Amino acid sequence: MEYKKSTIENLREALDNNEVTGEELFNEAKKLAEESQKDINAFVTILDKYKSRPKKKGILTDIPYSLKDNFSTTGILTTASSNILKNYVPVYDATVYKKLKDAGAVLVGKTVLDELAMGGTGTTGHTGVVLNPWDKTRLIGGSSAGSCASVAAGIVPFSIGSDTGDSVRKPASYGGVVGFKPTYGRISRYGLFAFASSLDHVALLTRSVKDAAIVTNVLKGEDPLDMTSLKDDGLDYTLNLDKSIKGKKFFYIKEACTFDKKSDILESTLNEFNKLLDKIRSLGATVDEVSIDKDLLNAIYPSYMVISCAEATSNNSNLTGIPFGNRIDGSTYEEIMFNTRTEGFSELIKRRFVIGSYVLQKENQDKLFLNACRVRRMIVDKMHELFKTYDALIMPASGGIAPKLGEASDVLSDEYLILENHMAIGNFGGFPSITLPYGFVNSMPIGVNITSNILKDSELLNIAKQIEDLLGYIGQVAGDKNV
Amino acid sequence: MYKVVIGLEVHCEVLTNTKNFSSAKNTYTNIPNINVMPVDLGLPGILPVVNEEACRKALKTAMALNCETPDEIIFDRKNYYYPDLPKGYQITQVTKPFGRNGHVTFLVNGKEKTVDIHQLHLEEDTASLEHYSNYSLIDYNRSGIPLMEIVTEPCIYSADEAVAFLETLRNIFLYLGVSEAKSDKGQMRCDVNISLMKDTDKVLGTKVEMKNINAFNSVKEAINYEIKRQSEILDKGEKVIQETRRIDEDGKTYSMREKVDAVDYKYFVEPNLAPVKITKEYKDTVRKEIPELEYSRIKRYLELNINLEDALTLAKDKDISNYFDEVIKNTKDINLAVNYLTIVILGSLNKLNININDLFITPTMLANVINLVKENEVSNQLAKNIIYEAMEKNIDPLEIIKSKNIKQISDEGELRNIVKKIIDESPEQVKEYLNGKEMVANFLVGKVMSATNKQANPAASLKLIKEELERMR
Amino acid sequence: MIDKKMLENYAEKLMFRMKDDELDTLESEFDTILKQMKLIENIKGIEKVDPMTFPFITYEAKLRSDLESSDSLSVDEVVSNTKHVVKDQIKVPKVVE
Repeated sequence: MEYKKSTIENLREALDNNEVTGEELFNEAKKLAEESQKDINAFVTILDKYKSRPKKKGILTDIPYSLKDNFSTTGILTTASSNILKNYVPVYDATVYKKLKDAGAVLVGKTVLDELAMGGTGTTGHTGVVLNPWDKTRLIGGSSAGSCASVAAGIVPFSIGSDTGDSVRKPASYGGVVGFKPTYGRISRYGLFAFASSLDHVALLTRSVKDAAIVTNVLKGEDPLDMTSLKDDGLDYTLNLDKSIKGKKFFYIKEACTFDKKSDILESTLNEFNKLLDKIRSLGATVDEVSIDKDLLNAIYPSYMVISCAEATSNNSNLTGIPFGNRIDGSTYEEIMFNTRTEGFSELIKRRFVIGSYVLQKENQDKLFLNACRVRRMIVDKMHELFKTYDALIMPASGGIAPKLGEASDVLSDEYLILENHMAIGNFGGFPSITLPYGFVNSMPIGVNITSNILKDSELLNIAKQIEDLLGYIGQVAGDKNV
Repeated sequence: MYKVVIGLEVHCEVLTNTKNFSSAKNTYTNIPNINVMPVDLGLPGILPVVNEEACRKALKTAMALNCETPDEIIFDRKNYYYPDLPKGYQITQVTKPFGRNGHVTFLVNGKEKTVDIHQLHLEEDTASLEHYSNYSLIDYNRSGIPLMEIVTEPCIYSADEAVAFLETLRNIFLYLGVSEAKSDKGQMRCDVNISLMKDTDKVLGTKVEMKNINAFNSVKEAINYEIKRQSEILDKGEKVIQETRRIDEDGKTYSMREKVDAVDYKYFVEPNLAPVKITKEYKDTVRKEIPELEYSRIKRYLELNINLEDALTLAKDKDISNYFDEVIKNTKDINLAVNYLTIVILGSLNKLNININDLFITPTMLANVINLVKENEVSNQLAKNIIYEAMEKNIDPLEIIKSKNIKQISDEGELRNIVKKIIDESPEQVKEYLNGKEMVANFLVGKVMSATNKQANPAASLKLIKEELERMR
Repeated sequence: MIDKKMLENYAEKLMFRMKDDELDTLESEFDTILKQMKLIENIKGIEKVDPMTFPFITYEAKLRSDLESSDSLSVDEVVSNTKHVVKDQIKVPKVVE
């Protein structure tokens, strides 16, 4: 058994056959994590000791994993990759962390994110840039940067991240791994540091669709501590994976995939995508091109910015350095708040907060914040309409491969592309959405994204598994060249 | 003279076991930071979960104030920075408050007054700050305790009206059991908005806001002080400044801050609280829990020809009023019932320092005694003594009457013999009576009463005494 | 129109300071986002749409039963993330209104 390439399934088998112990797995993971730090810098904290105290032994018992550093973990430093929380040690457990503890999964480390999860590059964490294990001159993307890198590098077979716009599904594409965001409310958000509450999802990164099903099985269910959590659907997601997708109907959005001018990379990516669609058709499924009002599609990104910044400004108003956080002294409470927040947040965060607060101002709220919320409903209504006909939306997760360090920034510009931002649709409507590797461009992995109607998590995983079987990237880690 | 226009914003802590959005205990304690969940401290990652009972009580109060009620439960965030607000926002209601457009009617110095209610909403209290010479300490026990806020329209025109409204409101809270509403514990506190205008003015004058007044008496003082202060300013032809003032212990108000520009709280719907439907069935159930309220009872009592003062006394407390209603179900003599309740029963409650529900004498027991008095079976005086004895010994008053073989002597023949005997024994008094001092007859009644161990019917005795004395002229 | 002075003021209301060059970047970002949002006003029928807050609503959410409870963090936990503790409470400079 080669640990780095092993899926949860493989590790479970090895553990059950006593080929390896949980402690040995942890030590291996810890060693890999420590060795990887200087190259990819995925971790804020790497844990010292193997610890597994399952309430009941189960499929995840003794399986190592990493957790994005914006989940509350009692007694373990949790920074959200921000200076303002650089010393914060939580006193309560996030529901997902508690469930994983109870399942006996072994936490290896807390992973780097874009500061407060607000960003898509993996470059803005207070402990530095996270790099792509496939090519250390490239980014892994964010905000779940360290989570994705730790799975892509084979340090852990799964990681828990969060996805507000595409924060798990975009890095998954750049890292050649599976990124899955179930239906909003399927997994409790209690203990996930809020970025934009109405868009935030707990999401996961794995190296196979089946592993995504296994982990989701453990995490899902209603939580009395999260009023937006859903009643458990009672399904075992691993049992529905092998059904044929013959007769399933897919669509992709024409306007997102049509360009006047194409870079080489975009061209190759779209070629790979078309090849994939043909393969899917060969399974007996149909794929249609669907046209959606371009003005509406163009509105996705600004609307996402407006809504997420607005909610983020409010959600992060608790960071004042008073009951917790890195207090910078002052002679009045206002000065304390000022100094703490001025020093604690990076520039990008401050810009986002000002935008968020501006759009909520009384005189701007209708034209900005509420209009963005209107766009949200229009997009979501359109999707619900399409899901009456179609089983899933299938799209390239990105128009290209992981950008080089220095190529991408989080400064807002006019030059956004629908193709780079369409995955926010999944957050707008809470739709289950998964990214999985479907090929390579310039020796870098690319990902395809599939999105289904709400509550259809099991059906989506089935579709994803069938496509994964078609492509054969199960257990892929950085370094595997499969061009 | 100016026309005074007052609007009130009343905050009231809701009586629940736990806080509005966390399972920490809702209680008052001097030990700091012992009822604090992560939600109440605003820690990263927390999510609020709405307390059912707090909603039920807010809805019930809204209904009691004749408000329109919403079809679903939704909350909003009010964003601002202050050291007692750990999340940096307060969860409150703007989009769909529990009540809108209500009204409440009550009496002010015997005259009917209706105050329109703009809105009633549910929100959460802040942490408490304790101030020392050069620092302040934050205690999070109060953080997240459910608060109802009731906002009136600017339709209150005097300090008396304001205080009567607050008393009515507190009475409604107590009747509904939604709050203990103790102002000394800060469970009920109010902000007063007051402006003065000339009778001929079309628009309201400049508004002055006075925040966080606990005692109703202070509300009165503050309003009267402001009327005087603002009148003097206007008399001089000057302008009242729009500002926030506080009331000091001396009953005067002092400027806290001028209103530079209105704070924008950037309200938006709280995304973490999934909407919950309020069904018609639910509303019906809650509505059924609302008892008849004070003002309706006062009106009912007045219709029974009870005088205003007694009607107010009886209706003030739900348990006393309920007790009284039980008594008059079992006796026809309303006057006696009022008399026994306001004097004998309420007097004893004060003395014994107990609640009427803990009283041994049930309404039926009291009604039975009243009926005996009414039928001249027992004298009034004796009946009262029996009730006191019954309370002391926890024995049914009827049992006492039976065991002591007490029966009022109303039989004319029997009574006349006693009267004759007393007259024979009192030659001095007879002489005085015949000389025109008719009051002496009452003295003789007293003698008859003592001679009969208070069993004689006093009215019948007086009649007979007069008859006998007149016959002696 | 947005100018730097306004942005500085907004930042102040959010309890932080921004440097001059940071305000420059922000100003150009505002330019971009406001232009984009302006386009949104032209989307057909937008004025009739009810703004969306929740991704979807199932009306399955339940209110919390108000059961008797002694749930609480310990006092030590409450004050564990600050050095400024006096008498089990969190200390700040004197708050004057």
